Amino acid sequence: MKVAVVGKGGSGKTTTAAVIARTLARQGIPTLALDCDTNPNLGLSLGVGEERTERLIAVRDAVDEGDEEHAGSTAELLDRFAIDGPDGVRFAVVSAIDNPEPGCP
Amino acid sequence: MPAVPIAAPTIEPGLQPGPDSGLRSAEPSYGGPVRVAFVGKGGAGKSSIAGVFARLLARDGAQVLALDSDPMPGLAYSLGVPNRETGIPAEAVEEYEDDSGRRRHRLRAGLDAGAAIELYSTVSPDGVRLLQLGKTRGVKGENSLSHQGYQAILDALQKQRSAEPDSTGSLADWAVVGDLPGGTRQPFFGWGRFARTILVVVEPTPASLLSGRRLARLAEKASAPHVVAIANKTREEADADLVQARTGLQVIGEVPFDPAQREADRRGVALLDLDSDSPMVAAVTRLVSTLSAKEPVR
Repeated sequence: MKVAVVGKGGSGKTTTAAVIARTLARQGIPTLALDCDTNPNLGLSLGVGEERTERLIAVRDAVDEGDEEHAGSTAELLDRFAIDGPDGVRFAVVSAIDNPEPGCP
Repeated sequence: MPAVPIAAPTIEPGLQPGPDSGLRSAEPSYGGPVRVAFVGKGGAGKSSIAGVFARLLARDGAQVLALDSDPMPGLAYSLGVPNRETGIPAEAVEEYEDDSGRRRHRLRAGLDAGAAIELYSTVSPDGVRLLQLGKTRGVKGENSLSHQGYQAILDALQKQRSAEPDSTGSLADWAVVGDLPGGTRQPFFGWGRFARTILVVVEPTPASLLSGRRLARLAEKASAPHVVAIANKTREEADADLVQARTGLQVIGEVPFDPAQREADRRGVALLDLDSDSPMVAAVTRLVSTLSAKEPVR
């Protein structure tokens, strides 16, 4: 199962995504939670905590910097950049905000 | 889980809450009209406050332009105008080549920014003029002409803002209230460049506080001139202090949680048209006074 949660700001995307992820994990299904928001807060809703959420290295930033030039597979990236959250949910932040670019909102 | 203390971002001295609680700015004040941009996490209440703010400013006699640069626009609801598209149309924009041969866009010949605002904005109750960014992409994924026209308005406002106080122009008298996209992707570059004050709307919740702190950090990187916070949906006395402590931003206004606003949201009407005596309206009235004292309406 692959689910993407979308909607207007403040409508409950992050909360919904976190509950779905942890519910699936509790049923024994291996679950990967990806925060694709440029203002990533999914860690808070999953219960990972603020400090770990902030420190989590953004997968894409590392790739952009050429750090993973030779890293091929998704599995390798997740091994390196995802962390284990409550109920065994694997969790990674896909994009972050350190280098905002002018242009699109 | 206990809150993890994280060091507050370093804010330039002019933005630290000081002994005088009045607004201070690194930017010289020349007594121009109020120009603010609302930023914050999605759902923090940017549009709700901006709509009330813009209409109250207009009631004070200001000529007010409301700019909704969120591709999913919501400011129309809180202003109380029909949420139809009200942006700069493609036919108002022309392409040209600059000196280096680059393709650029501008408002078509004979149309200045002031005239474009008058022509293409929608007027709300109390006389606020609303312009929306609307759809940003054309069929091939390029910036739409409409988008370029909106940018031309922002350019003109920015140019006018940095002009000398006694320089006159069709834009000099406009107060501007901007409602920026939610989140932290790029609130200060570009979309808020007309503003003299960036208002970060923050709820006393962990995710909203975290977004507020990230915005403060970005503001510092971008050397945004004057960035302050509004504590929104507060329920306890300590909430505004929490916002100040956790974002590192000076809180210049506090807006209490207001059931009337929730009802206005549910009905899709402007709070001012539902209950103009509500606590939120009173709070935003104070906010207008605070900012008008710093940025006098003329």
